[in-house]
Amino acid sequence: MVEAFVTDTIVYASLFGLMALGLTLTYLTTKVPNFAYGSFVTIGMYTAFALYRIQKISPYASAPIAFVLGAIASVSMYLGVLRILSKRGSSLVALMIATLAVDIAFVGIFGIYSDYLTSRYAFIDSKQFYPIPDSFTLFGTAGIVYVAPISLGIVTLAVFLLLTQSKLGVAMRASVENPSLARVVGINVERVYVFAWLLAGGFAAMSGSYYVLWLPGGITGGSNLIVEIFAASVLGGLASIYGSVLGGLIIGASEVLVTKVALDQLGSWVGIYQKGIPLIIMVVTLLVLPKGITSIDWHRIFVKAYPSFASQLRRLYHSMAKLTRGES
Amino acid sequence: MVPIIQLFGIDVVRFSIDLLTLYSLFLVVSLTLNLEAGYAGIPNFGKVMFVAAGAAAAGSASGQLAAFVLMINTHGNYTGYIYQVIPQIDAALTHNPGLSIGILLFGMLVAAVVGAVLGFAASFPAIRLREDYLGMLLLAAAQFFQIILSGYEPIIGGTQGIEVPNVFGWFFGDEIGVRDVVVLLVLGAFALLVFVYCEKVVRSPLGRTLRAIRDSELASRSLGKNDVAIRRKVIVVASAISGMAGALLTFYLGSVGAETWTRVTWTFWIWVILILGGAANNAGVALGAFSFTLLLKAVDQVKFNFQPFIPVDVNWLEYIMFAALLIGILVVRPDGILPEKPTLTLPRSVLGHIMESNVNTVDDEKSQPGKQTI
Repeated sequence: MVEAFVTDTIVYASLFGLMALGLTLTYLTTKVPNFAYGSFVTIGMYTAFALYRIQKISPYASAPIAFVLGAIASVSMYLGVLRILSKRGSSLVALMIATLAVDIAFVGIFGIYSDYLTSRYAFIDSKQFYPIPDSFTLFGTAGIVYVAPISLGIVTLAVFLLLTQSKLGVAMRASVENPSLARVVGINVERVYVFAWLLAGGFAAMSGSYYVLWLPGGITGGSNLIVEIFAASVLGGLASIYGSVLGGLIIGASEVLVTKVALDQLGSWVGIYQKGIPLIIMVVTLLVLPKGITSIDWHRIFVKAYPSFASQLRRLYHSMAKLTRGES
Repeated sequence: MVPIIQLFGIDVVRFSIDLLTLYSLFLVVSLTLNLEAGYAGIPNFGKVMFVAAGAAAAGSASGQLAAFVLMINTHGNYTGYIYQVIPQIDAALTHNPGLSIGILLFGMLVAAVVGAVLGFAASFPAIRLREDYLGMLLLAAAQFFQIILSGYEPIIGGTQGIEVPNVFGWFFGDEIGVRDVVVLLVLGAFALLVFVYCEKVVRSPLGRTLRAIRDSELASRSLGKNDVAIRRKVIVVASAISGMAGALLTFYLGSVGAETWTRVTWTFWIWVILILGGAANNAGVALGAFSFTLLLKAVDQVKFNFQPFIPVDVNWLEYIMFAALLIGILVVRPDGILPEKPTLTLPRSVLGHIMESNVNTVDDEKSQPGKQTI
């Protein structure tokens, strides 16, 4: 049996990596922080909950269904709200408040759905439910501990292959880098953006359906994760997909590990400050490293840390330059 | 259907008191948001944090002060013995108008100080970050703040909440109807004061500087305006006033708990009011706050009559309705009911005089309003 905090770290870190990846996809395309993103996660939570309780379908099997539902919600939000507003030339703040409105509307929809579940199937816990029992264990550890990191790995690899190897992926990168130029060469930028939002909503809902295998879910289950998701995305630089995966891993791991150390050293009262860790990381990132972890110039840090080595390198470079110019 | 009209007739007074009380609170908070987001260009998506902080601080501090002054034994654990302490305080306050008013003012002062401190803390990211980063940070910070309030019991007893001294009890004994009128008068006076203050600010040179900074930070900086100091000033003042509004809400409700303020009510609805009324226009915000509160109260009134016919809880429909309303306004009329207007720096008569005497000056005076940020 592995220690609880190790499995906690693995699940938490992988799921936040997955969620941050999706948020970054939406930010890259529309340049609006999507406050409704947490609700896409909640869609996954409720898909897993309802299908497990009604049909006894394992969340692993319902994750693809969650992906589809999340994708539908995400795409309709993009087409139905954000695209209309941005075509009308709305400001960034107007778009942000619109995404907040969508989040509130989603909370209303989840409320109605949970009321329906309570009245139709008598699930009295449908507003706030305990984790769903895992359907398999491997070496004495719950299946999600393996499935979550493997899913993150597969998704990251798939996104990497998509962006580098496929025509659609190249078109996506072009549309993000320079939309007008992409249009000039005949890329349908709108369709590319819709595809990015589709993936984002799908990943969010998928991670939501995995999330409830490990931790409790509920109406505001996804919205409450917004602190961690934004922190992860900001730490990754908001503009880098791989950075956001890294950010999610760091946020998830540090939240679990720092809390574990603090609980051991200081006592149980620190438990409520758990969400302070991603918040502090976010504040520090924004104030110190606004472009995120991927913007760190490792070469320069290395040069600063080992100046003698660097100066030797420089001397070598200058002597080489002199040699090539023919001086001796 | 005379009885129903009769019932309706009785309800009108009750309805108007509730409406105007809520209106005053919404007006104050949305005016401060207007100062920040409308005039200074600081999109505050964590408004609930400042209101809740003021309310929690006032609710906790006022009761403890009252207990200290009246020498009531709290056993060193105020929130733990709240149900023994508050009735004693209330009993003493009914015969002591001076102390009641003192405690009310003390609570508001504490709320203002706490709000200002939080605003000062928030000003560090607010003056450095872009709108999107700032929005994310404040939203996340507000979420974290609420988690702390609900978990940390010594302030307001966590999710259970605590009761607050009844500082309006002395007026006419403990009659509920009379108390509400007194509360309304106090809140209304405060709202009027804040409105006048905000109008004074935006018509002052400071107000015009704020718009200049909002529209072009670079240009205003090149004219020697200290945008950092001015923005910090605005966010501190706005947060202090928000905190005071929270304190008044606490004294009105008579209790305070971590669940009293939600992101929906004190961030989202305030933004709906701002967008509905028209950003960077105080009169518009006042009108927006009134229309919104009227709509909210009307829905409240109607929803329980229609509840039997609708299979779901109407509260959830309210969420969806107001979200749709906001998006609708953004699509149809993004500038709100009353869009931003250029402020006339001189009285109209003087302007007319100038217009007659010098045609060239007129063109300068009629300069276009800055580009809308919202």
